[in-house]
Amino acid sequence: MRPYFEKMADFGRELKKGALKRTEENLAQLKAVEAEVAQAVENVKNAGFPTEKINARGQMTVWQRLDYLVEPGTWCPLHTLFNPLDNEEGTTNVVDGLGKISGKWAVIVGFDNKVMAGAWLAGQSENILRITDLAKRLNLPLVWLVNCSGAKLPEQEKFYANRRGAGTPFFRHAELEQMGIPVLAGIYGTNPAGGGYQGVSPTILFAHKNCNIAVGGAGIVSGMAPKGGFDTEMAETLIEKAKHFKAKPPGSVKIHYDQTGFFRYVYEEEQGVLDGLKEFMADMPAYHPKFFRVAEPKAPRFPVEDLYRLLPLDPKKVYDFEEVLARLVDGSEHLEFRPDYGPEVYTGLCKIDGFLLGCIGNRQGYLGKGYPEYADYPGIGGKLYRQGLIKMNEFVTLCGRDRIPIVWLQDTSGIDVGDVAEKAELLGLGQSLIYSIQQTDVPMMLIVLRKGSAAAHYVMGGPTANRHNAFSLGTAASEIYVMHGETAAVATYARRLVKEKEAGRPLASVIEKMNQLAQDYYDKSRPLFCAKTGMLDEIVPISDLRGYLVAFAGAVYQNPRSICPQHHMLLPRIIKG
Amino acid sequence: MAEEILAPLAGKVVSVNIAVGDAVEEDDEALVIEAMKMETPIYIPCNGTVKEVRVKQGAEVEEDDVLAVIE
Repeated sequence: MRPYFEKMADFGRELKKGALKRTEENLAQLKAVEAEVAQAVENVKNAGFPTEKINARGQMTVWQRLDYLVEPGTWCPLHTLFNPLDNEEGTTNVVDGLGKISGKWAVIVGFDNKVMAGAWLAGQSENILRITDLAKRLNLPLVWLVNCSGAKLPEQEKFYANRRGAGTPFFRHAELEQMGIPVLAGIYGTNPAGGGYQGVSPTILFAHKNCNIAVGGAGIVSGMAPKGGFDTEMAETLIEKAKHFKAKPPGSVKIHYDQTGFFRYVYEEEQGVLDGLKEFMADMPAYHPKFFRVAEPKAPRFPVEDLYRLLPLDPKKVYDFEEVLARLVDGSEHLEFRPDYGPEVYTGLCKIDGFLLGCIGNRQGYLGKGYPEYADYPGIGGKLYRQGLIKMNEFVTLCGRDRIPIVWLQDTSGIDVGDVAEKAELLGLGQSLIYSIQQTDVPMMLIVLRKGSAAAHYVMGGPTANRHNAFSLGTAASEIYVMHGETAAVATYARRLVKEKEAGRPLASVIEKMNQLAQDYYDKSRPLFCAKTGMLDEIVPISDLRGYLVAFAGAVYQNPRSICPQHHMLLPRIIKG
Repeated sequence: MAEEILAPLAGKVVSVNIAVGDAVEEDDEALVIEAMKMETPIYIPCNGTVKEVRVKQGAEVEEDDVLAVIE
C-alpha cells in the first residue's frame, strides 16, 4: 500500500499578503485569550504551598516529579483547569496527561502534594474517571504518583460516597488490570484510608522509604471512638495520643515492605522511585512505531502559526477548513473521501507522525448553488445537512472496518431544522451517526476548533455521545452551548413578549431578561468555563495542537486491540476508485 | 479589462471596504455579506483599481448581483 500512503495529494496554500494584513487583529485576539488561559494554568501550578517549602522538607513537588519522569517534549497535560465544583483550592488536586516514559506512551496522574498533602477534593474522582477511561480507551499503562493524605474531611459529603465517588478509582484499577492494562504506582508521603487504597490498588508499587499506606491514619486511630461530643479533658487525651501516632503512622515501609511485601521495591531517594517506574516502562510491551506507520513522519508544509490567522475568533466569520487541516497533518497531504458529496463536511485520510488517521471537520461558508438539494434556502457550512451526515456515517464505518483511529475537528452550529429537514431524515441520520461511531470501536479524539453546539456537538464525535472519545480539546476560540445565547433568549421569552405587548405593558423588563440570558450563555460557554466544568479536557494553545495529535497517534498505535493489515484496507481503495 | 465581483449568495451587505479609485490587490477583502447568521467575505479577484462600487453598507443583495467592478 506504499503508493497510497507514502506521498498523498498535497493540499493547502501559502497565506497571501492580503490575508496576512487582515488577520493581524485576529492573531492578537487569539493570543490574548491564550494568555488568559496560561495565567489560569499558572495559578493551578502555584496552588498550595510554594515549591521551596516542599523542597525544604526533602520532597519533590508533583510537578518536579513529572518533569523528571516524562520525556521532554512529550507531556500533553489534560484537565489542568478542571474544577467542576469550584473548590477554593482551585484544583481537583490531581495533575494528569499523556506523556512518554522510557520511549513508551502512558497515561500519567499524580496527586498535588503542595495542596493539603494531596488530599481528596470534590471533583477529583470525576477527574480520575476521565483518566482511567483514557487508559482503557487507548490501551495504555496508567502511571500514578501517589501522595494522598486522605479526604478533605470538612467537605466529605461532596465526594466520599456515590456511584462516581472518591472510592471508584479502586475498582476501576481492578477493571483495568482485568483488561490487561497495568497500573504502576510510585508512592510518596503519608497515604491513610483513601490514600491507602489509592496506594495499594495499582499493579506494582514502587515505594519511597518514608512513605506509608494504611487502612486508617494516625488521626483516625487517636480519635476512634465517638463519645457524643468533646471537652477539654478529651482534647488533652487526644493531644497525647496524636503526638504518639504522629511519630509512628501505620503502614510504613517496615510493615509493607518487610512484613506484607505489598511494596515491590523501596527507594532511598525520591528520584529512585521515578527511576524504578522508568525501568518498568522501558520493559512495557509495545509495538515499535514502524509496525503501523504508513510513511516516514513529516512536518506540515506550512507554519503552524498560520492557524492564528486562519481560525477566526469571531464566530460569524467563515474560513477555509482545509487550510487549517493542512497546518496540522504530515506534509499537508491527504486522501479525501467523497469530495463531491456533502460539501459541508470534510472527510479524509491524513498522516500524523507517519500514522494513518481519519479526519472529519466542518467546512465553513456558503456551500454553493442548489445545496442542500432538498431545500429552497442556501446551505452554510457549520450546519449539517443530509449528504454530510450520510458521508460521515460512511466514513466512520469504513474507518472502523480498517481500524483507523479518527480525529474530529468541530466547528458546528447544529443540524438543519424544520419540516423540510425532518423530511430529509436528519433526525434519524444524526442518530445513525451515533450508532455508526459506537460500532467502530476505534479510539477517537476531538478538537472543538470554535463552535460545538446543539446535537451536532454530540454526533460529531463529542464525548457526550460515544464511548470512543479519548479526550476533547479546545482552543482559544472554542465555545460550547446547546444553542447560541440569543437564540435561547428568543426561545425562552418570545411568547412572554407577545403577552406583555397584548396586555399593553412595557417590554423593558423582558428585554432585560433576554439580554441577561444571552450574556449568561456567553459567559458559560467560554474556553475557561468549558475547561473548568469538563466540557473540554484541556484548552490547548493553537500552536500545540499538533503535539496532541502526535501523542494521540503514537498512543493509539502503541498497543491496538485489533489490527487491519494495511494491504487489506478498503477505504483508501474506495477513495482511489 | 474589467472584472465584476458578483454576490455568491443572497444576503445583507454588512461592510464595504473599497471605494472607487482605490488601488487593490488580489485577495484583499472587498465586502462582507451576512446570510444565515454568518458573514461571508468577498475578496478582490485580481490586482487593479476599483472602477465601480454598486452597493452600500446595509443593502440587501440577491445572488449574482454585481457588487463592484475592478479594472
